Amino acid sequence: QTPKTFTLKFNHVLGPKEPYHDGFLKWAKAVEQRTNGGLKIDVFHSAQLGLEEDIIEQIRQGANIGQNTDAARMGNYVPGIAVMNGPYFVETLEEVAKLRKAPTVAKWQEELAAKFGLKVVSFNWVQGYRHFFTNKPIKTPDDLKGLRIRTPPAPIWQESIRALGAVPVAMAFGEMYPGLQQRAIDGVELVYNNIPGGRFYEVLKVANETRHIMLINFEVVSAKWFDSLPKEYQDALVEEADRAGEETSRQILRLEAEVEQQLKSRGMTINKDVDLAAFRKAGDKAFEVMKITDAKSAVHKEIGK
Amino acid sequence: MQKVYQRVCAAEAWIASVFLIVMVILIFLGGVMRMLGHPINWSTDVSTALFAWACFLCADIAWRKNSMMAIEVFANRLPDKLQTALRMVNYALITAFLFYLLVMGAYLSWISRVRSFQGIPEVSYSWVTMSLPVGAALLIVTTALKVRGELRGERAEYRAVDVI
Amino acid sequence: MLIVIIAFTVLMLIGMPVAFAIGIAGALFFIQHPELPATIPIQVTVTETQNFALLAVPLFILAGNFLNNSGITTNLLKLATVLTGRMHGSLAQTSIALSTLMSGVTGSSIADAAMNARIIGLQMLKRGYAAGVISYGSLLAPIIPPGIGFILYGTVGQVSIGRLFAAGIIPGLMLWAALAVAIAITARRRGYGPERETRATAREILLASWGGIWAILFPIFLLAGLRYGIFTPSEIGAFAVIYSVAVGFFAYRMLTFASFREAIEGSLVDVGAVMFLLALSAIFGYGIVFERIPEVISDWMLGMTENAHVVMVLIVLFILIAGTFMEGSVLIIMLTPIFLPLVTKYGIDPVHFGLVFIIAATIGNYTPPVGAAMFVACQVLRCPISEYTRDSTPFLIAVTAVTLILIFVPSVVLLVPDMIFGSDLR
Ligand code: NA
Ligand code: NA
Repeated sequence: QTPKTFTLKFNHVLGPKEPYHDGFLKWAKAVEQRTNGGLKIDVFHSAQLGLEEDIIEQIRQGANIGQNTDAARMGNYVPGIAVMNGPYFVETLEEVAKLRKAPTVAKWQEELAAKFGLKVVSFNWVQGYRHFFTNKPIKTPDDLKGLRIRTPPAPIWQESIRALGAVPVAMAFGEMYPGLQQRAIDGVELVYNNIPGGRFYEVLKVANETRHIMLINFEVVSAKWFDSLPKEYQDALVEEADRAGEETSRQILRLEAEVEQQLKSRGMTINKDVDLAAFRKAGDKAFEVMKITDAKSAVHKEIGK
Repeated sequence: MQKVYQRVCAAEAWIASVFLIVMVILIFLGGVMRMLGHPINWSTDVSTALFAWACFLCADIAWRKNSMMAIEVFANRLPDKLQTALRMVNYALITAFLFYLLVMGAYLSWISRVRSFQGIPEVSYSWVTMSLPVGAALLIVTTALKVRGELRGERAEYRAVDVI
Repeated sequence: MLIVIIAFTVLMLIGMPVAFAIGIAGALFFIQHPELPATIPIQVTVTETQNFALLAVPLFILAGNFLNNSGITTNLLKLATVLTGRMHGSLAQTSIALSTLMSGVTGSSIADAAMNARIIGLQMLKRGYAAGVISYGSLLAPIIPPGIGFILYGTVGQVSIGRLFAAGIIPGLMLWAALAVAIAITARRRGYGPERETRATAREILLASWGGIWAILFPIFLLAGLRYGIFTPSEIGAFAVIYSVAVGFFAYRMLTFASFREAIEGSLVDVGAVMFLLALSAIFGYGIVFERIPEVISDWMLGMTENAHVVMVLIVLFILIAGTFMEGSVLIIMLTPIFLPLVTKYGIDPVHFGLVFIIAATIGNYTPPVGAAMFVACQVLRCPISEYTRDSTPFLIAVTAVTLILIFVPSVVLLVPDMIFGSDLR
């Protein structure tokens, strides 16, 4: 009898040239090799399989589909998880690695799987540090006052940006460039690697290194499907995801330095004179408004931050 | 009975019109308010939600007025009796499909009620999903009336409609 | 997926409305894949309506229907008559001049054909010729900005709607010129004379232009709004609706409460017909992506030829043939996801391809046996399709020639978008 083979259709919203896509392909290759072709992963870029929210719904119904998503969306199901998307929650890859062993985080993951059918395979994929990109230097939260900054629409995002002093504006990724050109918004908050692809250096002058969110992503599959896998396939899927994630995150942080130089040569000012202490303090407001301050303190204690 | 149905049709057109008009105003205000520095972050979500409803209500209106695009040239060359039979086959398939949309749509609205809007987290996304099963139910009634018309010997002629 | 395509073809041929045919055929894919949740077809259909950019479609439909009832036409007709009254076949020339002027405010060829047939067509000598002139004249409506074809293509294929709008200007004027030449030749041969004795004076032209000023300014407002203004493409659609209502009520004072209601009721039908089709086509589209069909077609095409022009000519021929029996918007909705990834592999600019694609798809609305604009013109003018087909052939040749030129000279298409939006963002 030939062993049963499995396929995972894995969807993400980023383009095919992003480091993440490469990372997912590496993950797919490693898993396929380790399971001798017993578990295959087909990676779909640019949201080809559909909208993130729709895919999560399909995952919940047990389809063999996976999605790269964020803490803000998982926070819709288990509110505590949203802390991971809050300002200055973690600030280094080492802290991210410690999260896996934190009991509170493990409890949230169990709740996601048991109550909502969402199995988090890995969450050490880090897209880099979010900074404010504007037309004037931002040194303190006061400098952001009145500035309309494009932000994803989820509540934790909106509250984080509001807490840091700006006016959050929900807008699709593709509308940012024309939005800036037309002065419908005054700035964006993104990771360095988003800037060259979107040519934002043409419409924005200053990169302010506020590092306000270290953006952690989650690789999510269906808990029902995951449980149907043989144990060694489950291990292969999880361990290889963590390995590829760590490698990709390190590569992205390395790339950031290159992008920074590139933006400088394109005439953008890099502002490193940022009062991080003032921003950290302002950021706490977001956790208060979202009523997740306790969750934050609990996790911080567990990871020793 | 007929009167009740006429009321339903009038309500359908009225709701669809109001939703479209509110959508126009919301989108316009969304742009203006953003420019003034007070962005309305729920305007996108509310206008697309209204649009889902307008869409499926309008689909029923178009179906009732025989205004859905169809290719009839080939079928029209067949003998009359065969044409009638083919139309009945169409109606049967359409009804089956609409029942599928109705049942699975209701099921999805129910199981995904925890899912919320991105911009307005207090509201369940099921309010949007429900537009499809409700639209399907209305379309089933319209299809049934077409079958009744066909049995009475009335033949539906499709009108040319396109938007480009 | 093969079963899906066969089912779709069969259902369409037996006369099932395309929207249902596409939904039912697309759902068959999920029967072949029982491991996928049966709720995906529901999800993708609803999600299709949640695309903010797509809201521009109903908005421009509304705006077009309001403008048609706003009194703008009467004023533009005066201007068109002043401009073309001295030419041979002047009624025909007036008709396409009016279409060109109207195309700056409306985005749909069908609405334009219906209106033109009523106000000029009935005065023209030969019904077949009149129907040909009027339907082909309406080809400009979706090409000169704004155009609903561009919005559909831009939304489905994620291409900048502002650039597409800008790209339509020169080709639109080229189409006008080509049609005017075709009319000049055929009218002289058929002995259709001018309406006016004297050439229009500068004063007359100026006065007539002033009367149509709100229409002439409109496309300029739209492009300026997209370039500098405050609005995104869907927001510009909302602006268009408000502008059209304001012009109808305050500037020309021809829009009444009754005609306002009439415009909305007409819009409901148009929105229902096209949006239901678009929403259900998402079910079909899911299988196409799942099975990576565009990649399969690309690999196959790349094995055959590496010449981008050859590929575009082949695609245009395919669309023209498919267009004989399918409506333009159906072609755009169904074929954009398949052809756009293919042509980008050949290094063809998405805006260049989009413009050529939309002209070719719109031509389908004028070719027998099935064509919405043709039906409308023939219905109003009570003209048999056979007569229309014979008399309109020169116009078909003229517009096809322009389309071919545009394939080989992309700079003509990309000049204005590069000027307005810059060439580096392509
Ligand atoms: Na137009
Ligand atoms: Na045709």
